Amino acid sequence: MKTKVDFPSINQKEPDGRRPDGSSFRVLVVDDSMFVTKQIGQILTSEGFEVVGTAADGALGVEKYKELFPNVDLVTMDITMPNMDGVTALEKIIEFDKNARVVMISALGKQDLVKQSLLLGAKNYIVKPLDRMKVLERVVSSLQ
Amino acid sequence: MRVEYINPFVEAAYNVLTEVLATDVKRGNLFLKSATKPVMGVAAIVGLAGEVEGRVLFDMSKSTAVKIASVMNMEELTEIDDLVKATISELANMITAQAVTKLHELGFKFDLTPPALITGDNMEISDQEVEALIVPMESPHGNIEINVAVRERS
Amino acid sequence: MSTTNVETGKGTKDTEHLKKIDFKMISFTLAGRDYGIDILKVKEIRKAGNFTKVPNTPVFVRGVDNLRGDIIPIIDLRTMFNLPAETKDPASLENIVIIRLDALILGIVVDTIEKVVGISHETIQPPHPIFGDINIQYINGVVENEGRLYIILDVDRIFGDSEPVPTAVASASVNDEGDVPLTASAPAAATGSLPLDLQFVAETLAAFGQFHLSPVNQDWVTKRLGEWKSLREAKGLDFQLTLKEEAQEFLAPFASRHTGQVWAAASVAELSEILKFDGSQIAVWNPGCGRGYESYSLALLLQTRFSKFSYKIWASDHDLLNISTAPALVLDEDSIDLEWKEFTVQSKNGLQFSTDLKGHVLFEFHDVNHTNPMPEIQLAVLRDLLSYLKVSDQEKLISELSEKLKPGGYLILGDNEKLQNSEWKDVSSAGWSVYQKLESVTDARGVN
Repeated sequence: MKTKVDFPSINQKEPDGRRPDGSSFRVLVVDDSMFVTKQIGQILTSEGFEVVGTAADGALGVEKYKELFPNVDLVTMDITMPNMDGVTALEKIIEFDKNARVVMISALGKQDLVKQSLLLGAKNYIVKPLDRMKVLERVVSSLQ
Repeated sequence: MRVEYINPFVEAAYNVLTEVLATDVKRGNLFLKSATKPVMGVAAIVGLAGEVEGRVLFDMSKSTAVKIASVMNMEELTEIDDLVKATISELANMITAQAVTKLHELGFKFDLTPPALITGDNMEISDQEVEALIVPMESPHGNIEINVAVRERS
Repeated sequence: MSTTNVETGKGTKDTEHLKKIDFKMISFTLAGRDYGIDILKVKEIRKAGNFTKVPNTPVFVRGVDNLRGDIIPIIDLRTMFNLPAETKDPASLENIVIIRLDALILGIVVDTIEKVVGISHETIQPPHPIFGDINIQYINGVVENEGRLYIILDVDRIFGDSEPVPTAVASASVNDEGDVPLTASAPAAATGSLPLDLQFVAETLAAFGQFHLSPVNQDWVTKRLGEWKSLREAKGLDFQLTLKEEAQEFLAPFASRHTGQVWAAASVAELSEILKFDGSQIAVWNPGCGRGYESYSLALLLQTRFSKFSYKIWASDHDLLNISTAPALVLDEDSIDLEWKEFTVQSKNGLQFSTDLKGHVLFEFHDVNHTNPMPEIQLAVLRDLLSYLKVSDQEKLISELSEKLKPGGYLILGDNEKLQNSEWKDVSSAGWSVYQKLESVTDARGVN
């Protein structure tokens, strides 16, 4: 997806997705939309992140997290999904790992659910349509 | 359709389409319809619930759907595959969500259901018992008709 | 269905988007033009010739033919409508479309028979004089299909009377479209006659003013025509309306009082004397509200004169611009009665109605000919709306109103509109056209 600001920075900086030692941050993408999963994947991989897993609903997302643990640094979690929604999945992941870093992905108009998520322990949130700069910003801040 | 509902949909459609397509989009004249009309090939339907009930339908031809999905995915897609369907569903979701947010700001509490995407030949929408507002949007990739039918719960 | 044995013309690829096909017609040509007849009226098509001549019949009756034992008259539509007809060898076979109208079967000679054309009835356009070499009253409508323009013939009207003599004695009643045929002369029986002058005027009013003559406004139009004639005579002009401006001038006095304005307190007082409501709620339907003055005036009426009731007004119009400005209507301070001032507030754009009053009115972009989603209502206000709808739509709307209005409920029409219907009681007074829905014996809903 094209974004308003998308040109290489003048000062070559380290890709956001890499740790100082050169290894990539590992991300689990949980979203029921193939399109959104692809988008997030593209944005993150272009900045050096590694997508280590995807899941199409909350239940699968929780399972995948448990599988990958401890080799996952961040989860992006869609709020509206079939089977188990993002907020419930978030709860379960935090239950399993209280240090889990989860960023909620929400469509407009789900303010209440976003607030709930933040209270339950989500680190940050991103609103669709996905803006590359915002995605990276929020993801990076969640990793701090 | 209630006057206050009209602008949010029109604006959301315009805003989201111009943003994701990164191009100029033109809005045709709004009109009302209460009859059966053919679907152009691909229809994404988002349900509306809450203080109101109804649905928003995004109607476009198969080729328009493929072209739009290609732009949004930044890759050349050639047929209606799962990715195209997911992309158009997401587009429908984004537009409806933005409209619903504007409506929230105006004091109307709507909620939306996840989109359903339907593709096929020779399909029709029957709006015989319902009056729908049609917002035609013209893009370089083809026309998209947004068909909104929503009423207060009595 | 009928016993038509025709090849459906599916040879051409349907490049048009699929429309719901709910009307099929047999298409044929007459003097180079395409025509269609509702397939439900067509019994069969055949080639036939050598018709037995019958003396003392009009020239367009070519004779009779023996259709498997039935003797049926064969009519030449080209002769009937004075269209150029190729002279054919009387022995040669001609193309005949056999039609059945109730008990009457007859055959019509045409130039060529084409195919079955399926269309959506929505795509049928109303007839316009420009489309017919033949009289507009015999045309149901016109429709375009795959690049060809078909004139759909109203065979019932053409052959409806047992003597098919269309150019002379024809039904002079107002047809379905509400547009009175221009050349009909002699009066018909059941529906009563309309003087020729009135017919001419009605046709122009429909074409230029979108105003449709019907029992709702006939009295006014007749009276106005009398006036108009005197006015025009005095100026040495012909009374006929030939220009849009003239039609509008003719219609100028039709508009009800307070059109485009907040109603005067005195008028509201008079109206409130006529209305009596039961129960505790008043649901009002106000289609054709324009910019909203009418709807707000109704709110003022109910707020001040029926304060014990809770009320809600559903207002609508099919003009998007008008209805969009209604919720935030800015008022002209000087033209508001003192009595209404307490319901107004100053806003940054000017004087508007208070939020409280506005809360009772819901404005919708709605086409009154579409499905009506209204629940039962106690009051319907349709001022100067019916007259601007096609006659068939007027009738449909009146019957819908009859269903939606609770018995004892009221219908307010334009000052110059009338309703003559046994289901309604005329309670008009003080210039207001008000009708009350009667309790009906068969009303299953019962009294509220």
